[in-house]
Amino acid sequence: MNEADLLQRIAQTLRQEIAPALDAEYPKTQAFMAAVVLDKVGRQIALAPAHAVAAAAELNGLIGDLNATAGDVPQAVRDAIAELARARSADSLSRLVEVLYSSKSALGERRFDELLARVRRALRGDIERRMEFAE
Amino acid sequence: MSSDAGSLQPQILAYLESRFPDGRDHELHNVHRIAVGWSHETWLFDLVFNERGSTQTLGLCLRRDPGNALLRHLSDLEQQFRVLQCLERTALPAPKPFWFERDPEILGAPFLVMEKVNGVCPSPWGREGRAFYGAAAARGRLPQSFTETLATLHTLDWRVAGLEFLGVPAAGTDFARREIGKWKELIAVSEHAPEPILTDLVCWLEANMPHTDRVTLVHGAYRTGNLLIEGDRISAVLDWELQVLGDPMYDVAYVLSDLNREGTPLLSNLVDRDAFFRDYEARTGFTIDEAVCRYYDALYAMRSVAFWMSASGLYASGRSSDLRLARTAWSVPVVLARAARDLNYWVDRAKL
Repeated sequence: MNEADLLQRIAQTLRQEIAPALDAEYPKTQAFMAAVVLDKVGRQIALAPAHAVAAAAELNGLIGDLNATAGDVPQAVRDAIAELARARSADSLSRLVEVLYSSKSALGERRFDELLARVRRALRGDIERRMEFAE
Repeated sequence: MSSDAGSLQPQILAYLESRFPDGRDHELHNVHRIAVGWSHETWLFDLVFNERGSTQTLGLCLRRDPGNALLRHLSDLEQQFRVLQCLERTALPAPKPFWFERDPEILGAPFLVMEKVNGVCPSPWGREGRAFYGAAAARGRLPQSFTETLATLHTLDWRVAGLEFLGVPAAGTDFARREIGKWKELIAVSEHAPEPILTDLVCWLEANMPHTDRVTLVHGAYRTGNLLIEGDRISAVLDWELQVLGDPMYDVAYVLSDLNREGTPLLSNLVDRDAFFRDYEARTGFTIDEAVCRYYDALYAMRSVAFWMSASGLYASGRSSDLRLARTAWSVPVVLARAARDLNYWVDRAKL
């Protein structure tokens, strides 16, 4: 039994044995909620290796596409792309989004839309993966 | 009654005895605690005492600030008390406020005491609540009262009522700017990991703020579940925690939002959309601006993310031990996915 299976087994125990045995409303709700949380953590752990591979590939694709176009964008956008390539973090991706918006007039409407749409395509993949365990 | 409510009962009784010094044999009956963990702690009870030979019964509601409410520093019981005092002078049905106490020596934290208004407040999220509102919708009176009460809220004279202390937004984009700023502040104190979709949403909201020329009182969470109902009429508007002066479309957007209905086309599980438009516009004289409402719906997505980040942060930091707050960590991506849909993430325009 791996960690994810173990957590889901504990969640089952909480849901089927512990919570029903509690009379008071508040601890009963807490026991059921603990089961819900463990279920989600279990699913998240089980999916983590595949999600990590997909996220890395997606980020590589995003950075590659952005670098290919970095020649004709304002310096602030180039810097934000370089920082994303270095840090590969949600923080640096957030910063890139902010810089795109603040550089919108310099980029022009069409270029801004293209770059933001490319970033959003990467973010779309991320949120779709997270929804696999969040809902 | 929870053990916490039980442990507070002697102090609550002692406080109320001090408020009715001419009475004798004070007792608390029907003590019931509601709303555990999310926001202010709330107790409902009847104070029974003897005065000049006759038995007096006073239905009361006590709200205490636990210091770890979802809204954190944005939650202010004293402001809530002042708003209720102002509303006493209006036609809007709301609980009558009696006392606010800042001194933590009395009950361990600031609290207010107000009237316990008659009525029921079924949760719209459960099966029983949905059945209740569905049946009321079929009868027709409650939906009318829902819209009529919102119209009363939006047309009351907030200057005459003394509500200017809430802060009057300047004409233009100031209202939206203030709201965005408030929720950014809550997100910042929640110390959540960065969320690029949230950054996108906030940047989009800041780049597209609507102009607001009409300022009214705005409840901020006007929906079933925050309204007390008696005899198919709204007997009190509750939950005065998010109120502001601003664009009435902010409340209208909340009514229109699919956030507040589950598996039904009825707004807030209760009101037919066409009837709401017709009755609201007739009673207020305002035209519902659906484009502005869509903007505010996106702002509500940001607010929801702020709520869930705050809630899960309270659990993670040890300030709350309520596992329902821990659960909301997974509500963040759910709301972000909804925001991403609203921002057309699935309409692929990438040319790179």
